[in-house]
Amino acid sequence: MRESFTAVIERNAELTDRLATEPYECAWASEARWFVRVMHLEGGGHLSASVQVSPDGLHWCNEGAALRAMDAPGLYSLPVRDFGGWLRLDCTLRGRAPRARVMIYLALKE
Amino acid sequence: MQHAMADVRLSKFDPLPRILAFDDFDDGLHGWCELVGNHDGDLSQVQPVLSDMRPAQLSSCTFFDIGTHGAVDGTYSLKLATRPRRFHQAVAIKRLTSPTNGRVQLEAWFTYKAEQTFGGDAPGARAWDGNYHPSEAHFGSFTLWNDVCEGTAPGQRYHAALRYENTNEQGEFTQRWLYKTGLHPTTRMLRGGFDSAQNDVHVARPDMWAPVPNGSQQLCFNEVPTKVNWHYLRWQFDLAARRNIELQVNDLTMDLTGVPVLTFDEGYWGITRLLNLCLDVRTTSDVRNFLYLDSVLVSVDW
Repeated sequence: MRESFTAVIERNAELTDRLATEPYECAWASEARWFVRVMHLEGGGHLSASVQVSPDGLHWCNEGAALRAMDAPGLYSLPVRDFGGWLRLDCTLRGRAPRARVMIYLALKE
Repeated sequence: MQHAMADVRLSKFDPLPRILAFDDFDDGLHGWCELVGNHDGDLSQVQPVLSDMRPAQLSSCTFFDIGTHGAVDGTYSLKLATRPRRFHQAVAIKRLTSPTNGRVQLEAWFTYKAEQTFGGDAPGARAWDGNYHPSEAHFGSFTLWNDVCEGTAPGQRYHAALRYENTNEQGEFTQRWLYKTGLHPTTRMLRGGFDSAQNDVHVARPDMWAPVPNGSQQLCFNEVPTKVNWHYLRWQFDLAARRNIELQVNDLTMDLTGVPVLTFDEGYWGITRLLNLCLDVRTTSDVRNFLYLDSVLVSVDW
């Protein structure tokens, strides 16, 4: 049976501008799926999130995939493969005094 | 010898007669999950110190200078990681119940680290001298603890907690074992007006810890943040006596029979025969702290 694990990377987190999620080790997994649940969004906020990868959990670059148009409450998702040993999500919230509340999940599978 | 012949992976442990769990993190997280405070579905009701205990990770101990370090055997270990924020705490919990009273023993092969930092340290900090590395002063503490509840009557729930304090609240080296002298309020107690500083899941105020007798110990941090040496730990407690028995960490064995274990005055509903085992790491600096477990073994004498 293939191992799997879902980590809650951010729980009920409030964003007003930018949030890079905590480094998460996932070398054991061959596939991943990010879920961003936007629970609350105000101030005309537009939330985007870029997948980032790292060789060491310290230095990061964009992987290429991104969620670009989260402009209403709801659930958004993005699959990733070939990510090496670490993943994080670099989130940016734009708008006039925007405010968002989110849950961010990382679902991993061997 | 019998253990080694039965399974070579068990020969590095010294279990009681019945093994309840052998958690080798080369093949998964084995039920060590993130602790979260109580709520009714509205997560903003979770008390702050219990709201962000971080998901456990399966780590390969990969570092910027050497790549993958690996574990005692195989590649992976269970990793708890704090945020890079002073007094943040990461907690993992394994949830069981007990069929009867008796001795419970938790053994582990573990190590601990502060995250690598680059550039200068704080003014006045002890500098790198080729042997000592300032990273060691970035590590706060790790704690092993339980949550036990025999039934619904007042006084039947208790937490025993043993903390290795590397640095104190001021970030000064102390390198000793502590036990707690006060409780942290449960969610119901907090709703009833019991106050908490909300900076440590174990105690309402940070001064509610006392040294374990003969509990001074320097562990093997090994000079830099990217060398990990695995340590042996064995903690035994008695459900019948509501007491700790002893804690062995490498060559130090501490008699804990005189260490008080505090009970909650009130009764708790729906957690009869609760037997939770917990591990946590807490930083005293604005640097991520990590606790790694190669493997954990839980055994009992019943």
